[in-house]
Amino acid sequence: MTRPASTGVRRPPRRHLPLQVFLGFVVVYFLVPFWWVVVNASKDSVGLFGGGNTLWFADSVDYLGNLYQLFTFDGGIYGRWILNSAVYALAGGVGATTLAVLAGYGFARYRFGGRRFAFALVLGALMVPATALVIPTFVMFAGLGLTNTMWAVILPSLLNPFGVYLMHVYARDAIPTEILDAARADGAGELRVFLQVALPLMRPAVVTVLLLSAVACWNNYFLPLAMLSDNRLFPVTVGLGLWQGIASANNAGTTPLWSLIILGALVSVIPLVIAFFTLQRHWRGGLALGGLR
Amino acid sequence: MKRSRLRHAMAMLAAVTALAACSGGDGGSSAGNASNCTNEIPKKNLPVVTVWGWYPNMNLVVDNFNKLNDEVQVCWTNVGQGSDEYDKFQTAIAAGTGAPDVIMIEMDRIPTFQIQNALVDIRQYGYEQVKDNYGEGAWKDVSVGDAIYGVPVDGGPVAMIYRKDLFEKYDITPPKTWEEYEQAAQKMKDAGGPLFGDFAANVSALTMALQIQKGANPFTYDPTQPKTIGIRLNDQASKDVLAYWERLVRKGLVGTEDQFTPEYINGVINGKYATYISAAWAPGYLTGAGVGKGEDSGKWAVAPLPQWDPDNPVQVNWGGSAWSVTSQAKNPELAAKVAYGLYADDESLSHGWKNQIIFPLNLKALKSSEFVEHEVPFFDGQQANKEVYVPAAEAYQGVTYSPFGQYYFDAMTKQVSALIQGSVTAEQAADRLHEDVVAYAKEQGFTVQ
Amino acid sequence: MTLLMEKDAPQVGERTRAARGRVRLREHLLGWLFVGPFALVFLAFLIAPLAYAAYLSLFQRKLIGGTSFVLFDNYLKAFTDPSFLSGTWFVIRFSLVAIPLQIGIALALALILDAVTSMFARFARLMIFLPYAIPTVIGAIMWGFLYSKSFGPLADVFGLFGATAPDLLSSNNIFYGLVNIVTWQWVGYYMIILYAALQGIDPSLYEAARIDGAGRWQIAFRIKIPLISPAILLILVFSLIGTLQFFNEPQILRPLAAGAIGPDFTPNMYAYQQAFGLANINYGSAISFALGGVVFVGVYAFLFFTRKRRSFL
Repeated sequence: MTRPASTGVRRPPRRHLPLQVFLGFVVVYFLVPFWWVVVNASKDSVGLFGGGNTLWFADSVDYLGNLYQLFTFDGGIYGRWILNSAVYALAGGVGATTLAVLAGYGFARYRFGGRRFAFALVLGALMVPATALVIPTFVMFAGLGLTNTMWAVILPSLLNPFGVYLMHVYARDAIPTEILDAARADGAGELRVFLQVALPLMRPAVVTVLLLSAVACWNNYFLPLAMLSDNRLFPVTVGLGLWQGIASANNAGTTPLWSLIILGALVSVIPLVIAFFTLQRHWRGGLALGGLR
Repeated sequence: MKRSRLRHAMAMLAAVTALAACSGGDGGSSAGNASNCTNEIPKKNLPVVTVWGWYPNMNLVVDNFNKLNDEVQVCWTNVGQGSDEYDKFQTAIAAGTGAPDVIMIEMDRIPTFQIQNALVDIRQYGYEQVKDNYGEGAWKDVSVGDAIYGVPVDGGPVAMIYRKDLFEKYDITPPKTWEEYEQAAQKMKDAGGPLFGDFAANVSALTMALQIQKGANPFTYDPTQPKTIGIRLNDQASKDVLAYWERLVRKGLVGTEDQFTPEYINGVINGKYATYISAAWAPGYLTGAGVGKGEDSGKWAVAPLPQWDPDNPVQVNWGGSAWSVTSQAKNPELAAKVAYGLYADDESLSHGWKNQIIFPLNLKALKSSEFVEHEVPFFDGQQANKEVYVPAAEAYQGVTYSPFGQYYFDAMTKQVSALIQGSVTAEQAADRLHEDVVAYAKEQGFTVQ
Repeated sequence: MTLLMEKDAPQVGERTRAARGRVRLREHLLGWLFVGPFALVFLAFLIAPLAYAAYLSLFQRKLIGGTSFVLFDNYLKAFTDPSFLSGTWFVIRFSLVAIPLQIGIALALALILDAVTSMFARFARLMIFLPYAIPTVIGAIMWGFLYSKSFGPLADVFGLFGATAPDLLSSNNIFYGLVNIVTWQWVGYYMIILYAALQGIDPSLYEAARIDGAGRWQIAFRIKIPLISPAILLILVFSLIGTLQFFNEPQILRPLAAGAIGPDFTPNMYAYQQAFGLANINYGSAISFALGGVVFVGVYAFLFFTRKRRSFL
């Protein structure tokens, strides 16, 4: 596996003007929905429905008022949804990553019986539609009394075959065997070799898998939709879907729910956007190896 | 059967219960747990009954109940409106756990859940005491045979809401018959006016009601013979009504926008439609979206639903809801107390009807002069209840609903959608709908008559 | 998927014949110790549900008459059920349009970003990737508003050119409406993967090609694309799996386009509707399983096809 070109001589930036102009148009396309949300989150329902320019602010820009409504409506349920999403993303992400790191390292570094078969199963699992598992898992969890609990969302999220695959590739290619053997020769136990030698070397991949699985949990819709009926346990995706249904039907009486949904969508994407931007140095390196092999 | 299947599932999980076991101990968040209420429970030492409901003023209704009651307290959550809630309830039925004690259900869905034994007959739990609080038609809609599966709250007498200003501008008087409705629509179009109404694919319950108005009788069902059902979805009346709207659509007199969407609300606000055929709860829905406020106020009025035969008027219902006790209720008697008492106190009722969130079926409200003579602000002070809604509600005779309401409505949406697009005729749409639903009923084990 | 199968892992160090037996046992233990926790989860949340779905799908539940064992009747029904078939046909058609489009755009963008190295290019890279951080549900809600004829911007934009905006939520156009949403959502992610792969190519290869007289286009088509073809293949497989399971976006857009999106719009939605809307978990399981079969066959056929024509990629 070739490492990124950063080791080579840094060349002056290449500016190709027509291509940059083209990129400009592309960026506009990708940003328009965000712009629309940012603008329309400032409006009340009269501003929303009353016509006027849809891509520009109405006369009254009221972010604070809308924010206050968003976080107080229905007993502040929105804040709880955000918190739930965070819990699901964190628990599912950390859990899935831990399992994937261990398994990936195990598959890559030990020749144990049934390894090839087990690994083939993992790869085959990449093809199983995750949503196809939801219905039977739901029935099983119902038998165990686990439906409508946070566990019903967290436990199935621990399964991340793609994470195992990524970790396996990385553990195989990025850890020189000699280093491990040297550590063993120094009398370190296998666990210590893993924790103190292998794990630090696998860090970029760990960050990548962590981000990918946390994002997958944060974005999850089908699983919590099926598992949860108590709206205090909803993640923000299912919660906003619920509001959309309520808004369609009766507009929650006098509360302008559509404005809250738009603002709620905006607020809900902020944490992930921040996470991605601040961690971008880490995950990009990790993604490269998934793509290369 | 369900039990053994569940046991099977457990057996299969036996190898891996280590994980599940460590989480089973926590389980502090099941629906039955009172800690997950949207409302505050004031009297914490009393037993608690869990409730699902989506009335927009539920907060107030629940607080009123809890304040007035010294026997039981309500723990309420809103898990979604309409089919969102029904899907959740259905899920809980399949799981055998997770349903609330009391649930808000539209009356047309009661047979759907009753046939699955998901609801409790509450006749024995105090029906006699509140019997006289509701009219006979209201009780009929929540009954299957002699058994009572719900306590009526909200009715939906259908009427024609219209834009006064547009009617004046184009010199149109409210049509009394559907024939006049079509003529008025044509007149408005010829004068360059907006669309006269809307024929939407996603309001099957309304389409059904309009068919019933012409004399259709979609389902006949005798609960003493639960395996047999009569289905008539392609009789002449049903076809005529579809053909009527098909003609209006083809002529460009009415729109075909899905209702209950921001798009439709936008159209209503901006005067895209001169009339809105809808139920008594519609104004509350529209005001929530900002209709009738500001410069828009005073533009709306309501008239009785146009008739096919003005000498023999028929009134119909759309929506309307009730409290049902689920068979998962831990204490059905206590749950029934909630069902009978919730949204039945004067303060909740008057808040509900004053904001046009509900059309009360409780006679305390329905018969009160305050209600009847109320000058509705949305209709610019018109005495809408006295002139339109109360007579419509009193003339309403009730309908037999099918035990597979969800399937029927979805199938209807499919056909109406095709009809609007022009890929089928009204005749074909009715025939296909009939075949579709009959096939489903047979597949579900019914004998179809 | 066999083509993704790894080579034999290196052994743990050198060892003597005598010690091999003992070491082997130790290695079996250690290997399973590391893989064990994942294996448990794998059994519990993949194998068990699959087996259970298979089991459930052999029964039939009726509103009248209860549950009975019917063997493969549900599958026979599914593969003659117009709802399932039309849903399956829809996701296949959708894959055929949406996937090449997404990957084509992602590839083009990745090549551009690989060739242009300005500040703006770096900014563009992030902005194009941004939608990946948006939950698909939120993305669908956002686009649902944007598609609105009266308060979305489409009317304004088309108005500039004197045209009427198409209603992307109508039955005729919903296909394109959804293609646009998934394109917006996923192109950035695919682009980043391809871009990372491009960055991993040894630049000296380009120098060599340039000396041989190759132009920009030739370098892109003869060197860059062939070298990142494994990454392209990986994305293709994942997008195929994802698209065949299409659920979130149409489900969210349903309230806005009830006429255009029925409950049987995609196989996954149909399974959900059967299981949770119509109380028929058995048939829902059968549909899930049948869909799983379709995905498996689809992916396998795809891999078989591409392996035969590796040079094409």
